[in-house]
Amino acid sequence: MSVFTRPDSKPETGVAPASASPVAPPKPETATVVQAEPKPRPVAAPVTSLAPQSSGGASIISKALKITGQLESSEDIQIDGEVEGDVRAVTVRVGNNAKVKGAVYGDQVELAGTVDGKIEAKKVVLTATARMSGDVIHQDITIQSGAFIDGHCKPEYGKSDRKVIPVHKAS
Amino acid sequence: MLARPRRTLVKPPAVRAGDLPTSHLGRSMTVKGVLDTDGEVYVHGNVLGRINADKIVVGSGGYVEGDMVARDVRICGRLNGRVFAFNVTLDESANIIGRIFHHTATVAKGARIDGRMPWRPLNYFETFDQPPENQP
Repeated sequence: MSVFTRPDSKPETGVAPASASPVAPPKPETATVVQAEPKPRPVAAPVTSLAPQSSGGASIISKALKITGQLESSEDIQIDGEVEGDVRAVTVRVGNNAKVKGAVYGDQVELAGTVDGKIEAKKVVLTATARMSGDVIHQDITIQSGAFIDGHCKPEYGKSDRKVIPVHKAS
Repeated sequence: MLARPRRTLVKPPAVRAGDLPTSHLGRSMTVKGVLDTDGEVYVHGNVLGRINADKIVVGSGGYVEGDMVARDVRICGRLNGRVFAFNVTLDESANIIGRIFHHTATVAKGARIDGRMPWRPLNYFETFDQPPENQP
């Protein structure tokens, strides 16, 4: 843990020499003036230079991440991890070993992992590794050979009275 | 060490999750709930809830309301809540309301902090897995 150790005693630079008289002379020694002058701190420079670049709107839930709760985005979401809750986005991709326990709403949903809930999307793609337990409400569906579906496929997207994607734009 | 928690903040460098993929929460993303990972999380959107990770970076447009538990935390955005981390870096655009429990902290000029920054020894971060609910 040597990384976290820090020197508790710092070299004292700003202390005036003891020989200096308490009454300030009109022309002090030049060396004392230079030492007492506050120097600009170099700490701020590395902090600002390392600022992380702002990523685009697309979100990635990596395989090591588990989210318990709702996800909402007005852009794309790629899920490779585990989500317990509802997902709402424009394009939702559920990766190979990903797991979603809850409903998935979107314009387009590509499923290669597991969804335990329902999918409501305009375009639904179930790849060969997809495992779907629940209903699929779609307008346009692609099911590859090997996909597992336990539920109903209803071509009723946008036909129900409620609005499907009330995703608000992030301010 | 009996009853060792499942995941501690102190990890030997070999076990540290450096090769784990990072998670990005984009600008338009809003998460309500708990995020739990052994890797890195970049927050550019909004998180209302708790984040447990190895490293957390809140981007300049990011907003977190809740607790963050990590080894490294870096904040360029807004936070309303608490931080429990070894290494805390607050950038100039950081705007924080809450407490920052840290062991090492770097604060850039211009960062706004409304709250306390209590220092804690290393073993403080080893003892809990979840952030304690009532801290001084």
